[in-house]
Amino acid sequence: MSAAAAIHLCEVGKTYPGRELSLRGTKLETQGPVLWVRNAARAVRLTGEAAPPVRALERVSLTVAPGEVLGVLGPNGSGKTTLIKILAGLIRPSEGVGTVAGWPLSQAGVIRRHVAYVSTTGWMGLEWALTAEENLRFFAELSGMPSRRARERTRAALAALDLTADAAKLSGELSNGMRQRLLMARALLWHTPVVLLDEPFVGLDPDHRRQVRDLIRGLPREGQTVVVSDHQADVVEAVADRVLVLEAGRVQAMGTPRELVRPLAGLSVLEVVTEMAATPAAPPPPIVHHVEWQARPGPMGRMAWRLTVETGDTAFSAVLAWLDTAGGRIIEVEERRPGLRDVLPEASAHRVESA
Amino acid sequence: MRSGAPERGSLARGAWHQAATLGAFTLREYRIWQSYRVNQLMWLTNIFVTTLLFFLMGRMLTGADAHLLGPAYGTNYMSFVVVGIAVNVFLFTNLADPYTRIQRAYFNGTMDLFLLSPMSIYTPLVGLMTKSLLDDYPRLFIVGAFGVVLFGAVFRFEHWLLAAGFTVLLLAAAFGIGAISASSFYLLNIKRGTEPVRFIVQQLLATLLAGTYYPITVLPRPLQWVACLIPHAYAFDALRRLMDPGARMNVPVLPIQQVLPWPPLTVDAVALGVMAGVLLPLGFWLYGRGIEKARRDGTLTRWQ
Repeated sequence: MSAAAAIHLCEVGKTYPGRELSLRGTKLETQGPVLWVRNAARAVRLTGEAAPPVRALERVSLTVAPGEVLGVLGPNGSGKTTLIKILAGLIRPSEGVGTVAGWPLSQAGVIRRHVAYVSTTGWMGLEWALTAEENLRFFAELSGMPSRRARERTRAALAALDLTADAAKLSGELSNGMRQRLLMARALLWHTPVVLLDEPFVGLDPDHRRQVRDLIRGLPREGQTVVVSDHQADVVEAVADRVLVLEAGRVQAMGTPRELVRPLAGLSVLEVVTEMAATPAAPPPPIVHHVEWQARPGPMGRMAWRLTVETGDTAFSAVLAWLDTAGGRIIEVEERRPGLRDVLPEASAHRVESA
Repeated sequence: MRSGAPERGSLARGAWHQAATLGAFTLREYRIWQSYRVNQLMWLTNIFVTTLLFFLMGRMLTGADAHLLGPAYGTNYMSFVVVGIAVNVFLFTNLADPYTRIQRAYFNGTMDLFLLSPMSIYTPLVGLMTKSLLDDYPRLFIVGAFGVVLFGAVFRFEHWLLAAGFTVLLLAAAFGIGAISASSFYLLNIKRGTEPVRFIVQQLLATLLAGTYYPITVLPRPLQWVACLIPHAYAFDALRRLMDPGARMNVPVLPIQQVLPWPPLTVDAVALGVMAGVLLPLGFWLYGRGIEKARRDGTLTRWQ
C-alpha cells in the first residue's frame, strides 16, 4: 500500500446481501422481497424468499497519486456511484482494504473530513427556503469556520462557479444547472485533499460544462486529488489524467486516455445512421473489428451503427455494402478517429466483435 | 486556500466547534422559520386552540371535583393541567422529534449533505433539534401565559432553581429515548410506517399512564407501576409538587415513592437521573450503530 497515494484500494468489493436492489436509477432501493405487484388493489408479496446478493463491485483495485484526476467511466449500474461512496466513507466495502487521504476505509468519520463529494442529485438536499449564499454559508459554518472566514469562503466559492449574481436567490428559484453548480461550490468550501465528483456535469449547459471542466482541471494545482465519474466518455476524457473503465462492477481497463485508445490505433470509427432495418444476415466483413447498433424507434425510426474498422477506402465501401444487406437506406455516414468513447461499448447496444 | 476542515484538537476546541455548529443550525432554522410568515400565525393559533381545548375540559373539574387531585398536588386543577401540558410539550418534542427530523432530512436529501460534510454523525441529530427551540419550546411560555391570564392558573416560584434542574433531567431522559427512536430509522431500516419506540413510549404509555390530565392514582395499581417505567410520571410529579399552589412535598403518590424510604422528590430526582444517565448514552450509541449498519448495508444515503 503506497503511503504517498491519495487513494489506494486493493481488491475492494461490495455485495448487497439478500435485497432487491436497483443500481440503475437514481434511487437505491434495498427494501422488500424478490417481487411485488404494485398498482394492484393491494400489494401482493409473491415470494418470501430473499433476493440473491447483488455484487455491485468485484475486486476493484486502484491507486490515485496526489494531484491526479482519475476518471471513472462506465454505463449506468456499473458500480461508479458505489465506488465513489466507498471512497467517501458512505458505504463500507464487503471485502478488500484501502486508504483515502492516508486513512483506512474503516475510519469513515475521519475520511469524511478529508473528502468533498458532489453527488448527482445532492442539490435536492439544499434548503429551498434559504438563498444560495445562506445554504453555502450554513455548510461552511458547520465545519467550524469562524463567521468572517465562512463568509469569505462562501463568496469565493460562489464566484468560482459564476453564481455571485444569483447569491441572493432562493435555492427554489434556481435552475437545476445552477443548483448543480451550487453543489460544486459547496465542495470548494473546505479545500479537502480529495474531491469526489459523481456525474458533476448533469444539467449543465455547454458554457458551464466548460467552466466546471476547467475548474476540475484546476483543482490539482491547489493540491487536490480528484475522482470524477460519468457515463459519457468525452466528458471523462476531457478532464481525467487516467481513466478507470467499469462494467458490471469489474474493472475493464485502466490507463491514460491515450493508453486506452492505443489498441485502436490505425483504425477508424464509422458512425452510420440508416432507416430502421433488420440485422444484416451475413457476418460483418473481416475489416470490421467491432460493430454496435441501436434502434431509435419513432415515426422516423432509425438505426444507429458504430463500427470500428480498418482505415482505408476499401474498408469503407465494404462496410457500406454489408450494411446494405440489412435493407435500410443509409442516411448519414461519419468517419472519425477512435476516442475513449469507443473503448466503452454502449450498454444498451447490440454488438458483434470480430473473430 | 488551506483546509477549513477541522482537525482533532483540544477538548475546548471540540466543544467550541460543536457550539458553533449548533449556532449555525439554530440560525438556519430561524431563517427557515421566519421565511414562512403565514406559518407563524398558524403556529400561534394552533397553540391557542390545543391549549384552550384542554383548559375547557379542565373547567369541568374545577371546584368541587378538584379533590380528585389528591393531597400532593394542591387544589388548582388549572395549575395541574398547565404543568401537565408544558411538560408534555418538552417531553413530546425531545422524545418524538428526533426520529421525525432524521426521517425528514433523509427523505428530502438534506441528510446526504450532512453526511458529506466534515462534521460528526451526531451533529445532525442534535442540530436538527434546534428547530424545537424555535417551534416547540416557546409553547411552554404561551401555555403558561394562557393558563394564568385566561384560566386562573397560579404557580409558586420559590423552588424555581430546583424545578429548572428537574427540567434539565427530564429533557435529557426524553432526548435519550428520542435518540433511541431515531436510531431505529437506521437500525430497523424503517422507511415508512410507525416507529415502534416512539409509539410505545409516547403514544401508548405516556398518553394513557403518564398523568398529564389526571393524577395516576386514578389508575389501577398495576398500571401505576407501569407508569413508573417512563420519565413522564416523575417529571409531572416533581414539577407539580414544586410549582402548584398547595402542593405537598412529602406525600408519596407514585407506587415506587411508597416503597422506597426516600422523600418523593428524591425518588423523582434519582429516577430521572438514572434514566438520563442510561438512556442518553444508550441513544447516542445505538444511533452510531445504526449509522454503521446503514453504511454496511448501503442504505445510509437516500440519493445516488
